[in-house]
Amino acid sequence: MKNRLKVLRAERDWSQADLADRLVVSRQTINALETGKYDPSLPLAFKIARLFGQPIEAIFDDGEA
Amino acid sequence: MANARSASPATRRYLARFIPLMIVYAIVIFGVSVAFNRLQPVGPLAWALAIVPALPILGVIAVMGLYLREEADEFQRAVLIESMLWGIGLTLAGSTVWGLLEFYVDAPRVPVFWAFPAFCGAMGLAQPFVRRRYL
Repeated sequence: MKNRLKVLRAERDWSQADLADRLVVSRQTINALETGKYDPSLPLAFKIARLFGQPIEAIFDDGEA
Repeated sequence: MANARSASPATRRYLARFIPLMIVYAIVIFGVSVAFNRLQPVGPLAWALAIVPALPILGVIAVMGLYLREEADEFQRAVLIESMLWGIGLTLAGSTVWGLLEFYVDAPRVPVFWAFPAFCGAMGLAQPFVRRRYL
């Protein structure tokens, strides 16, 4: 699923490792999310949305809208 | 299951459980082999003795299950589950093909003991390919 994680991360000047630490996941997980090849579970999507202070649909795009 | 640099608490717990079990297994399998050679047990004692080395291996299977339950990183968990499915699929495929060769063309018998090591090997081989799909 397409998403704006990389942009949001760059805006805050965070590395993949920084974001990984904040979400308590591995750096590989951040990479898999950013490439859009791994879709997060609903709890992780909420955690990401809360961290960036944006609604889930502003971060993830399922291409249906 | 993951490299040490980024080892999660669940991975560290997995290793802390797995390594002692494998040490116990190595000692027990050696002890049981010696016992069978020297004492040549028969009947229920032989059956009981033969099963003893299985106990740490059953422990390893339980430890793998605990890891899946305790790993908080859902992506790492997903990679491992997918690798396990490949391990199961390859082991079942291999045992079906080899089993038929044993039935019909007298291929050498492979002890069923090797099912779990084959599963672990296939799972290990599958893991880098599974990971590569998410790069």
